[in-house]
Formats: sequence, C-alpha cells, structure tokens
Amino acid sequence: MKKRTIKKVLVANRGVPAVRIMHTCRDRKIPTTAVYSTPDRLAHHVFMADTAVHIGEAPPIESYLNMDKMIDAALRSKSDAIHPGWGFLAENDEFAQKVIDAGLIWIGPSPKVIRLMGDKIEAKLIAQKANVPTIPGLNDVTDINQIKKWMEHEKVTFPIMIKAAAGGGGKGMVKVENEDQLSQAFAQARSEAKKAFGDEKILVEKYIERGRHIEVQIVADEHGNVVHLFERECTLQRRNQKIIEEAPSPTLDEDLRQEICFTAVRLMREIGYTTAGTVEFIFDSSTKKFYLLEVNTRLQVEHGITELITGLDIVGIMLDVVMGKKLPFKQADIHPNRWALEVRLNAEDPKTFSPSFGTITRLEIPHGPGVRIASGVYEGADIPPYYDSLFMLLMTAGADREDAVRTMDRALSRSLRVEGIKTLAPLLLSIIRHHAFISGEFSTRFIEEHINELISMFKEKSSEDEALKVARYVAEISALGPQKWM
Amino acid sequence: MKTNIFAKPGMSPKEIVGAVRGLKGVCFTSVGMRDAGQSDFKNRHRIYDLKTLSHYYNNMGLFSAECHGGARWHVGIMNRRESPFEEINILRELMPDVLLQTLIRETNLWGYRPYPKNVIEYVVSKVDIDVWRCFSFLNDVRNMRAVAEVVMKRGRLFEPTISFTVADWATNDYYLSVVRDIVDLCGGVDEIVLCIKDMAGVGDVNRIGNLIDAIKQAYPELVINYHRHITDGLAVPAFLAAAKAGAKIFDVQEDSLVRFYGHSPILGIHAIFEESGIPVHLNRAEAEAAVQKVRDWIGHYEWAESPFKGLDHTVTLHKMPGGAFPSSFEQAQKAEFLHLMPAILKMMSLYNRIVKYFDVTPGSQITWVTNSGIINRYAKERGDAGVRHIIELMTKFVEEKAQDFNAMEREEQEELLTLFRNAPGDFKNLLLGNYGKLPVGWPAEWVYKSTFGDEWKEKIKERKELSPLDSVPEDDLEKIRRELSDSLGREASEEEFILYLMHPKDALEFIEFKEKYGEAPLVLPTNVWREGLKKPGDRVDFELWGKPYTLELVSIGAEHEGIIHVVMRVNNKTRVYKVETPRAKKVEIRMAKGPNEIGAPINGNIWRIGNPERGALKVGDIVHKGEEIANLEAMKMENVIIAPFDGQIAEVCVKLNDTVQEGQLLFILDKVQIKEQEPIGRID
Repeated sequence: MKKRTIKKVLVANRGVPAVRIMHTCRDRKIPTTAVYSTPDRLAHHVFMADTAVHIGEAPPIESYLNMDKMIDAALRSKSDAIHPGWGFLAENDEFAQKVIDAGLIWIGPSPKVIRLMGDKIEAKLIAQKANVPTIPGLNDVTDINQIKKWMEHEKVTFPIMIKAAAGGGGKGMVKVENEDQLSQAFAQARSEAKKAFGDEKILVEKYIERGRHIEVQIVADEHGNVVHLFERECTLQRRNQKIIEEAPSPTLDEDLRQEICFTAVRLMREIGYTTAGTVEFIFDSSTKKFYLLEVNTRLQVEHGITELITGLDIVGIMLDVVMGKKLPFKQADIHPNRWALEVRLNAEDPKTFSPSFGTITRLEIPHGPGVRIASGVYEGADIPPYYDSLFMLLMTAGADREDAVRTMDRALSRSLRVEGIKTLAPLLLSIIRHHAFISGEFSTRFIEEHINELISMFKEKSSEDEALKVARYVAEISALGPQKWM
Repeated sequence: MKTNIFAKPGMSPKEIVGAVRGLKGVCFTSVGMRDAGQSDFKNRHRIYDLKTLSHYYNNMGLFSAECHGGARWHVGIMNRRESPFEEINILRELMPDVLLQTLIRETNLWGYRPYPKNVIEYVVSKVDIDVWRCFSFLNDVRNMRAVAEVVMKRGRLFEPTISFTVADWATNDYYLSVVRDIVDLCGGVDEIVLCIKDMAGVGDVNRIGNLIDAIKQAYPELVINYHRHITDGLAVPAFLAAAKAGAKIFDVQEDSLVRFYGHSPILGIHAIFEESGIPVHLNRAEAEAAVQKVRDWIGHYEWAESPFKGLDHTVTLHKMPGGAFPSSFEQAQKAEFLHLMPAILKMMSLYNRIVKYFDVTPGSQITWVTNSGIINRYAKERGDAGVRHIIELMTKFVEEKAQDFNAMEREEQEELLTLFRNAPGDFKNLLLGNYGKLPVGWPAEWVYKSTFGDEWKEKIKERKELSPLDSVPEDDLEKIRRELSDSLGREASEEEFILYLMHPKDALEFIEFKEKYGEAPLVLPTNVWREGLKKPGDRVDFELWGKPYTLELVSIGAEHEGIIHVVMRVNNKTRVYKVETPRAKKVEIRMAKGPNEIGAPINGNIWRIGNPERGALKVGDIVHKGEEIANLEAMKMENVIIAPFDGQIAEVCVKLNDTVQEGQLLFILDKVQIKEQEPIGRID
C-alpha cells in the first residue's frame, strides 16, 4: 500500500465537527479549508480555517449537501483531502467515490464499506453472517400491510420502530405505539428518509423497551489491523437523539465489555473497515443480551470521550490511516484509565425541545481541570435555523464516574453561560443531578419518563449573571430616562 | 456604650407591654421608614436609602420602627420593585434590636378587599414582623379576629387600632365601646398596645386629651399609642395633650423628612416633651444623626413629593387622610380636573355625614372615587353651573334640612335618588356589608334607592350583618399556588406565593421584572435607579452578594427605528445593549388562540402547506380530521400538522418557507359538516 501525504484538508462541514477536525489539523501543521453557506459567512469554523470557500445558499441541498460544489471548493482551494465530519455527506458513499475520482484523499472508510453499512438491510445480513446478533425485524418495507403481516407472523407486539434504511442520527426514525399511528409514522419516516438521505427505503424492527444504547469505537488501518477503543454508553436520548454520553458504560461488567467489544471488532474486520467507525448496539438489561443497531461509518459526535479515556486523537488516527500508515498500537496497548462524560449543548428550549435560533449575546465557556470543550460558536455568533441545533459539546473527565459528574456539574452550573438563545443546559444539569442518573439506573426513555421533575429542578444563579441583569437595567434607564411605572 | 433598648425582638408581648409601662416617661415609634414616605413621597423611599438609618435606629431606644405594611407593600412591588420580604431581611440584619412594625388593614390585609379567613391566617403566619398595628376603617373589631389570633399565637405583639375622626356621632362612649370590644377580643390589656389612629390629623387638642383620659379612666393599665398626621397644623399641641392624658407611645419621623401630610418631627417633639417635664426615652444624639443622614438622599425624591405643599386646616372638614391627600391631587391633575378639587372636597365633607365610616384605606379610596365621580359627572353634563347646583343641593339637604329626605322638594328628591347610581362597585359592596358593619349603622334608605334603583329592597335584604371573616368563602390555596407556578413555568417560592395572594396581577409583573433585572432595585443608588447613567464616563459602583461591581457608561447611541444602542463597561468588559424605545416596531405575530385556530407546535420552517397526496391547500378547501395540512421542519426534523376536526380552511396565515414561532397561527379552520362520500385525500 502506497504512502500518501496530505497537504491541505477541506472540511466538508460546519460548526462543531468542522472546528474539531481543524484542531487536529492545526496540531499536525496541516492547513485547512472551510466551506460555508451564505448564513454561515461569519461562522466560527470559517475563521478557524486557513482558507474558506463560499459554497451556496442556506438550504443544505445547495451547500453542505452539494457534492459537486464541495469537490470544486477542494480543487479551487488546492486541498488534497476531504474530511466529512459527521452528518451531511459523512456517510454518503457516492460522495466518497466522487472525492476519490477527483484525485483527492477521502478521510474515511471506503465507499464500498459505507454503502454496505449504510444500507441497514445489507448491514443486518452481513452482521448475521459474522455471527453478530441483530434485532428481529423486517427489511425493505414498502407498505404497512407488510408490517402488519410480519408482526402477526413473528408474534411481535407494539411498540415497533420504523427506520430509514439509510438513516442515522435519529432522523427518519419513528417509534410506533399502536396500529392507529402506523400509517402516519410510516409516511413520516419515508419522507424524512428521502429528505435527509435521499433514499426512502424503510425497515421495521421490534422495539426494545427500556434498552440501553452502547457502542464500540473502532479504529482500523489499511494493513488489516482492527482495534477497539472500548465502549461508550449513549442511553440518554430524547426523540432518539443522544444528549448525554459517557465512557466507559456503567452498565457492563468486564465479561460483557470484552464480549461486546470483540463482537464489534469481528464485524468490522469482516467488512474490511478502515479509519474510525462505531458499532452501535442496543442492550437489553433484563436479558443481558445485546443486538446490533447499526454501524456508523464516520467520526462520531461523542468520539471525544473515548479520546479522553484513552488519550488518543481519533481524527489524527484517521489522517494517519488514509496516508497509509499502520496503527501505532495493538489492542493490548489500549488501557483506558479515566471516566469521561459528554453533554450536547443544543440550541433548544429545555422544556419543549423547540429549536431556538438567534444571536448568542453572551457566551462564557467553561475552563478548569478536567474540562474539554468543543464549540462551534463564539459570543456574537448567529445560530441559523437551517442546520442541526448542536453548537457545543462539553466533556469532563475524572478518575471515576463520580469525579467526572462532579466536574460536569461545575462546568454547567458555575461556568457555562449562554444568552440570546435557549439551550438544553438547565435540563442537562437536572439530569446529571438526578439520583437515577447518579446511580446509573436509566434507560433510553429516562428523559420522557422524568421530564417533569427534571424541569422543576432548573435554576442556578451566580452573582455574575445577576450583575449583568443590573447592567441591562442601567442601560435601559440610561437610554430611556425615568419610567412611568416608577 | 450605655444601651437604652427596652424592647427588642424575641421579647414576649407581656414583657414588651411591661417594659413600656415601666418607662418613666414616653417613647417613640419611628414612622420614618413607612408612613413618612407614604404621606409625602408617594411611598417611593427605597430600602437602599432607608437602610442607612437603621444603624441609628438600632441605638436610638425606639419602641418600634414602622417599616412595613400600609401601601408600602403594594407600591413596593409595583413601583419600587422591592419585595416586603427582602426589606424585612435587610432591616433585621442591620437593626436586630429594633421591633419591626407593620400596618395591616384587618381582613383587607395589605390590599383593598376582604380576603378569605384562610388566606389571612396563612399570610399573617408567614410574615416576620414583631408589632402588628391593625386597624379597621369601620372600627369593626370583629374583622380583626383572624389577624389577632395568629399574631398572638405566634407570640408577637398585637396593636389593635381605633380609627379616629371628629364627628357628632364619634363620642367618647362610641370609642369606649370600640375599646371594650378590643379588650374583649384580646383577653385584657396586658398583651396589647392600643393605637389611636388619627390618620387625617383632625383631632383638636382638647378632644384628643379628653378621649385618652376617658380611655385611661376605663382601662388604667392600657398602653396607648397616638398616631397623628400633621396636616391641620395642630399636631404638636395635640401630642402634648395626649401625653399629659397618659398616652405612652408617639409616632414621629426624622425632622428632615417632615413635609405637610406626615408626622411630627422627632427632635421637635423630644424638645417640647422635655420642656414640659415629660421624660422621653430617646438617645437624642442618634436621632440627630439620623435626621442628618436623611439629607444624604432625600434630594433624590423631589419628583415624588406632592406638588400641593403646605398645611391646611380645612382637612378637618373633608377629612382626607395624609397618604391619600397628595395622591388625590396628583390624580386630579393627571386627569385634568384639578379645578374641581374644592368642589370635590366640599362634597366629601357632606358625604361623610351621610355615609358614616372612617376615611382610611380602603374607605378613603371609596370616598374619593365616589365623590370625585359625582362631581365629574355634573361637570361633564352641566358644566360649572351643574357643579354649583349639586353642592347647593347637598348643602341644603345636609345642613339646612338635617338630612330629612321628606323635607326636600319632589324634584330634589328625584335628583338625590340618582346621586349614587354610578357609584363604584366598592361603594356598593360597602352598603351591602361586604366589608363589615358600618360604625354607627347603615345609611338611610334613600341611599340604597339612589344606589340600586328598583332593586334596592332586595339589596337591603342581601346586606350582610356578618363579618367578612365569616362570610367570604375560603380560597383553595393549593390551587392558587399551582396557578401561580403554571404562569411562572416553575415552582413559585413561598414569598412569591404570598405576594401573589395579595395582589395577583401586580405580583406577576413584579416577579417578571425581578427575573429580568435581578437585584437592580436593591443595589443601585436612587439617582441611577431613576435616571440611569447620564454622560460618558459616569459610573456606578455597587456590591452584589459580597463582590464589587462597576458599571461605566461609554456611550448612548442615537435612536434609529426605535432602537438605541448603549455601550457600557461592566467590570471593565465592554458590552453593547440594544434598548427598544416605545417607538420600536413591534413585529406582531398572530398567535393561535381559539379552538379553530391552528398553531405551530414548535419553532421552525413551514416547508409544505398541504400534503403530498392532494398538494397545496388554499382557502375554501375542505380538510378532514387527522389529515396533514402542513409540515414544519425544524433542525431537519419533520413535524406534521394535522387538522383537529373536519373543516373548511378560512385562512392560511403563513406563506411557504416562512419561519414561524411556537404557537404562531398557521390556519383558521371553520367547522363544517361534510358529506360522507367526499373522496378527499384522507390519511387514516
């Protein structure tokens, strides 16, 4: 396998992932190119990069999902490699192929692997071949009668899950509680699938009640080395989107951990995976069984906590692997010795999850021991309504879980301040202070089950915040003079 | 330092009363922190300034400091944006040895209407006050029962108060009967102080000495507090007469706070008592220092002072009390009927002989609204001549004919019978007994005819003889608490709940203000509180939670399209504030309200109106229950908007690709009956 070098990386993304990748490129002294849509003209990632290229208007289809413009931008900016980040074109095999065909280096697994794993139905068949357990389900559904028949035949009861075959990230995924919801849900999943992934193929699966979401980080080189970097637990989700992740999993004992990690390695070796990827499982606590959910053929949002517990740089590994280098470690060299926690700071109302757009008028970013921040914004930046609501990741690490949680509490309650938009911060703080979270007793339904008590726990004041309220008052009265109500 | 404190928090009522009885001479209650501000400065004195007196109060040897209650509570949340609870906490810390005193309006508490008994008991049990001065504008002692019980059970001092006026019916016998009711209610005279509340300052010198003498003869051990406003100009000799007759406690305020409607000057009263051989329990040096301290800040309140300055002995005729006098004039000025004031005051002096009660809250408000309403109505309908006419008619009726209705001409009778037809609801409530019994009986029948017209007989039948304590139905406190939490979107604190029980609408506004501006009302000096920073470089230093902060004005921009940008340095960090002026353009967003209005479930983008099967929808289209009528995308997730019932689209309120807010109106649907067979793209 021939050695290649990367001279300049175009990051085909925005916000948090773009910034994350550029950090490693800076470490490696590799120049970067940012791309931006019109509303992102002044976005943080644009100024992180060494050069920036405007690629189109706000709708993703005209900008961040536009393959030709992306490749054109790479060529124009003299970039020789493209990193897709996560979301947008990250799991698009056609794009990966186009990148390669344009003579550029694709920083990710091969288009073939992406295609195989991207089709959930294909992926399931391969997994079964590799002796990886999968959830009972029905592939390639085109109408709801098929679903009804399958349920009858396999004695499956509601709830069930309808998924876009090409899906991921909770999009095109609808839980169905009863027969009445079936047709509406099916139509919605199909439409979302088409919009988000350009593919309306659908599958259904039995819904594992109160399951836990556990995933294994894999890195692999082009020389046949496949190494796992242990697991992460991402059980805390709302609307099928993760909001809190941790590593290691508080659920698994040592035997199960070994079993789940090596199952993941077996699958990835079977498909010839390279660079970084994740094998996601759903774990049924009551039966201690785990089933394959899907393989994410890309860098994942929550990769940072694996980096925190292992001390490795996964983006750096991806760069090395695509340059043809061998993994510099073996499985036996990987010794996690930290507990790490991540919360996703989304621009959303913490009570209703309704997205919140606008200008960030105040931003205080947490610092101090044990804290790692990945921010896609700065004070004064705009959150436009067109893209994902994630704008910052907060990670903390400690010697054990209690440590990591304590540090996260400090970061959220005493350090982080965001004004101008609503964020999930109050909810996140309530969750990490909840006794069920602290004791590790929770399922993917934790948030929906506890939302009312979580909301009632909001409220944290600091003199800094209070002083700014006083300042706002003085500013208004200085401008407007004495008020009638006085 | 020699301490001259004889009464302090923690002492039992009996100990406090014993200590006052044991004093060689008299002592003072300072009203500098409450009634002084209420009477002459519209209650605008801020705790930020008042607390500068607390150090002196703590060493002065006062009986108590009235710092709470009356209208201070309500004005606090509405205008000063201060919570009465915050004020108590601040004063407790700064003057721990002073008895804190409130003024409470029996069943009306710190509001203007009778509260249910369970609300009264709940609220009174939660407010940390040592001396509870409780008055009734009807001298209906029954109404004091709930407050008395809770206060006495808590081991706090109850100070029942008789409202005092001068009238032919307000005899010593009348007042002694009120005192008797009070002594009965409180189980004797050893655990109470009796207050005589001369709220307008109308007691002439002999009258007051005579009354106190009569009470002392009946109850030699009763400790009496005389509260007297100064408007008539006779307060000082009246105090002297009261002291000689045996009153023990006198309400005073800093000399530098004295204007025209409040109370006597502490140093002046101290001097005349001492000169007259009546020892005063007071550390005069501390009192002088407090008088001096007031000058540091009183200049900031000129704007709040009544523009109608000067003493006025005619107060003894219209009897409008200290606090109400300037605010009535202010209201008259604002509503442009200042020129009618002489007629209104004359009308009041006649009215108070027809409907007999005491002009103090809420009675004074009823009097004011009723009488200013009558005069304004005549002025509007018949001009100056009309005003003159009604005054002449009323004077004839009250003064010449001694209120003998039958002695009036038929035409005059008819006019009297419409006099109160437009009276305010509270006047009607008063006549119906909803506040309690009137002091010397219900008004004459013609007043009922005049107020209620043909229904007068039924209304008299409805009239309550019971105290509101026994007639107002209890409130469901937990329901009210939930209602508050729902409006706040979070759990309400105990203090917020009590503010809400008192004045629901104003409490909500206050809480909203505090959430937005935090402790601004407590930490900012008064000039900055009122006017902000004026020119570049102006700064204000303050402490917040024990840490230093500095705000420095950099610049105030010019107004552009209703927006002014203010640049300030906040602890050295430059910040830009966008301030909306009243001219700011408000983009009005229609929100879905009625059941036939369909709103957006979350913020997002309307990317489809209609559904894939039938395409776009327009006005007039028929839609079916459960049918998708639009789709909203937010952060790449789709949200289906469905028709809640079968209907016809009356209005499409958004355009394709509009960004909408949660709750924003999307469609208006009319309900229609649809024939069964209509084959419209239905998703089921």
